Amino acid sequence: MTAGGVFKDPIGEEEKVLARLRLAGELDAPPASLGHAVKAAFSLRALDAELAALTYDSAQDERSLAGVRDAAEPSRFLTFEAPALTVEVEATPDGDTRRLVGQLTPPVPGPLIISHAAGTVSVELDPFGRFSADGVAPGPISVHCEAAAVTTEWVII
Amino acid sequence: MRLPVCATYDLPMGGGASDGDLFERVRAGDAQAWDALYDRLGGRVFAVARSHRLSREDAEDVCQVAWNRLLTHLHTIREPECVGAWLAATARNESLRLLKRSGRQVPTGDAFEFEGPDEIAPPVDARLLATERQKAVWDALAQLRPACQRLLRLRMAGFSYQEICELLDVPAGSIGPTQRRCLEQLRKRLTGMEREAEVAP
Repeated sequence: MTAGGVFKDPIGEEEKVLARLRLAGELDAPPASLGHAVKAAFSLRALDAELAALTYDSAQDERSLAGVRDAAEPSRFLTFEAPALTVEVEATPDGDTRRLVGQLTPPVPGPLIISHAAGTVSVELDPFGRFSADGVAPGPISVHCEAAAVTTEWVII
Repeated sequence: MRLPVCATYDLPMGGGASDGDLFERVRAGDAQAWDALYDRLGGRVFAVARSHRLSREDAEDVCQVAWNRLLTHLHTIREPECVGAWLAATARNESLRLLKRSGRQVPTGDAFEFEGPDEIAPPVDARLLATERQKAVWDALAQLRPACQRLLRLRMAGFSYQEICELLDVPAGSIGPTQRRCLEQLRKRLTGMEREAEVAP
């Protein structure tokens, strides 16, 4: 070791430390539940569905962030757009869960499937394309509309 | 076999399927290939989220989004060999979104200068089963500055130096000196801790 704090045998010493790092990394492996969920997702994927991309998220909006950062968790507004369908969702904290209220434009017949980390929930659409769902666990969600064959991007709520 | 720059992940011993081979099979609807792709890259994607000092729970959410997003983009990814880099970049973006949404500090300019809310530490139950040598690495890591912790957490998961530069969107070579210092500091702390352990009764 020199006074400058440089490895005297840079490559060999670095490789040894890196090898120890990799061994230690095994302690922080992904949880088994993640592997199960990801693997199960393959057979649940919506084939032939069009993707509705996230085009607005109030939580990423600088203007709204400036005003609400201090407020207790506010409602979050999300807009997803596919060529022929727009999905708007408002997610409001409700205790440990989220209440989702939203609308599809143009209106299409239901049901609407909301996928989340623990499974799926099916909700009805009213004649105006509106829907609501209570008790959705915080975490990743995606909304799938069978009638329009559209699936939204996944987002964490 | 000549692979694109992004496909630097370890190939299985004695050859076997590359990331791109696996991904092409996934595209064709092969569920076993999907499982194999997760088994190969799951730890790396998780490490990206954890390197942002997200809790294991938040990191799990981020990974779910990244992997599900891969499913919704199966047929739009242009370079199958780069699927690992694509997943890592998606996990990085989602981690930053999560940090921003919760009003936590986010990177400004220097990609290193930020930290999430949580300590960089393995779960308690894993620690119980760990060897002393493994625990020492985490204890030493926790004493380093956040930029080092982040860099070395990625190295732990097997990311190469070049992959980290791409992930952080910094020019190749620009974090070389940082990495060398981080590794040296880690090594010094490990040596110090082990010397103390020897002296102790």
